Amino acid sequence: MSVYRVPYRYANSLVQLAEEKNIFEKVSGDGDLIFNTLNDSKELRTVLKSPVIKPAVKKELLETIFAKNISGETLSFLNFVIEKNREDILFEIFKEFNSLVDKKNGVVKASVISAVDLNNDMKQNLLDSLEKKTSSKVVANYKIDQKIIGGFIAQVKDTVYDASIKRQLELLRKALLEDSAIYNN
Amino acid sequence: MAEIRPDEVSAILRKQLAGFENETDVYEVGTVLQVGDGIARVYGLSKVMASELVEFPNDVTGMVLNLEEDSVGCVLFGESTLIKEGDTVKRTNRVASFPVGEKLLGRIVNPLGEPVDGRGTVQFEKYMPIERKALGVIQRQPVKEPLQTGITAIDAMIPIGRGQRELIIGDRQTGKTAIAIDTIINQKYTHTEEAKKYGVKPVYCVYVAIGQKNSTVAQVVAKLEEAGAMEYTTVVSAPASTPAPLQYIAPYSGATLGEYFRDNGKHALVIYDDLSKQAAAYRELSLLLRRPPGREAYPGDVFYLHSRLLERASKLSEDLGGGSLTALPIIETQQGDVSAYIPTNVISITDGQIYLLPNLFNAGVRPAIDVGISVSRVGGNAQIKAMKKVAGSLKLDLAQYRELEAFAKIGSDLDKSTQRTLAKGARLVELLKQGQYVPVAVEKQVVSVFVGTNNYFESVDVTDVKRFEKEFLEYVELRYSQIFESIRVAKALNDETVQLIKKAVEEFIEKFKKS
Repeated sequence: MSVYRVPYRYANSLVQLAEEKNIFEKVSGDGDLIFNTLNDSKELRTVLKSPVIKPAVKKELLETIFAKNISGETLSFLNFVIEKNREDILFEIFKEFNSLVDKKNGVVKASVISAVDLNNDMKQNLLDSLEKKTSSKVVANYKIDQKIIGGFIAQVKDTVYDASIKRQLELLRKALLEDSAIYNN
Repeated sequence: MAEIRPDEVSAILRKQLAGFENETDVYEVGTVLQVGDGIARVYGLSKVMASELVEFPNDVTGMVLNLEEDSVGCVLFGESTLIKEGDTVKRTNRVASFPVGEKLLGRIVNPLGEPVDGRGTVQFEKYMPIERKALGVIQRQPVKEPLQTGITAIDAMIPIGRGQRELIIGDRQTGKTAIAIDTIINQKYTHTEEAKKYGVKPVYCVYVAIGQKNSTVAQVVAKLEEAGAMEYTTVVSAPASTPAPLQYIAPYSGATLGEYFRDNGKHALVIYDDLSKQAAAYRELSLLLRRPPGREAYPGDVFYLHSRLLERASKLSEDLGGGSLTALPIIETQQGDVSAYIPTNVISITDGQIYLLPNLFNAGVRPAIDVGISVSRVGGNAQIKAMKKVAGSLKLDLAQYRELEAFAKIGSDLDKSTQRTLAKGARLVELLKQGQYVPVAVEKQVVSVFVGTNNYFESVDVTDVKRFEKEFLEYVELRYSQIFESIRVAKALNDETVQLIKKAVEEFIEKFKKS
């Protein structure tokens, strides 16, 4: 079975439910929270994936973690997923859910990697140009990776805007090697 | 070893560094979900095209074959062990293509156009996609020029025209490749000044080796080099050790190079050696991509696999330059089983076939062509008039001979005319025997066949036939060279020449010493 279709169906049903009940804002916030929690805690993901732990225990666990912070609808959705024995793909469901929410809001996510911490001006500049390119609102998360030496790498969906020194050096290496391919044979 | 000069390096560095500030590299990526058995499933790459090349880490390239709802199925042209789950895949925005140009002649390249002969980068004119739609009816014209193979049996009875597709089929070890190599070697004549004078246009050759041993490929190349045939030949090599996807695209790469020559008004000959291995490679990757298997576990589109390849062979109309692309696919049968899936498919696609039989081969009839079931469906129109005239009765004589051959083995009570037919047949079979790598020019073939069909061999022992032929041709060359000249120029056999040949052969029989 496709790894894509099942999460999509669950996520889509949650989106539609939220829209019907007019609590879209609230539920999408819940989705973000659950996704981030799962993303940060490998332990939680492992527990959910484990077939040894009984569904009742998992239910209780999720309730104690999330009950205070999320709406009743989202909680009952979590219970429903566990009942259907799909808790192993809960992470994928919320990943999908988030992208559906972004689509609804006309937002695209971008991940930006830079060698040094960017100041706000630079960030705004980058966002502006990305928004121009994608003609939709861009929400970026920033990471610092000194391995890229300098510049930045921005990824929006499948497209990568690579202005890093590392990439430039790589291209330079390729250009230099092109005529010396003879030595590799 | 070539040297890189320091000033060259600094020039390149300067150029690269000059564009450093504003150069942003934009590319699209995906993530490897699953990898193994030469196949990768990739998430992302949402705008990728079918049969586009993609880049994996560690310099592995791949080609997109399956576009699915949520993922993309790629075949890998390199080691799948170098790639792991979660790796980034880059688009190249380029469908699988092959470098073409005159400079490729004399080179050995892999199906992606990378050199494998250790002689440096390949100079080329441009890239052309390996999958191209075959030409339509308007762009074509009937096959009308001969492609001389230099093998008398073929040129006389199963003639091949420029733009034709003629299948060479037979069991292992029956001399299939030998025919192909001889044909390439025989094209050397078309590149000479002399041929130009007689209006014979040069034929450029492409030899596509699929799933063969590297040693076999090396042997073929050595033979071609020895014969001086590499000057106008490109070898596209996808030996057995290369991944199945490369073996699968190899014939398309070869066809692309052939089409380049064809589209420039030149003539090309492409040999696919062999398509049964290519079909097996395609089966392998189809099964790995989980396409449903059909007969003999081949996928449903295995007919299309070969038809779209062979349909690219064509003779262009005069408006388009009149170039041609001749295809000689080779199929290896198992135990003479021509009714297997792939052989029947390819037989039905091509314009005729040359059957090679192991028992003929072992009986010393080489090339081991079964002239009874070998046919050429269009080549006859392309034969030169002289050959058409003399070869007309050859096939008939041989057919009669085969029919009576069975009787001959049983008894001795045969009437005179039967005995004559048998004697003539045996001598003709002997005449059509030919060594490897010794192609014969068409005018000599015409004279030999003329002598054979007009029964001048009656007084010659069967064992002497070959020697008689050789010495007679030498005799004509010395004394009556105007015979050859006349056939070469007029391409027909006029009465005067016929009389001259008769005179020469009668003279020669007198002088011929029996061994």
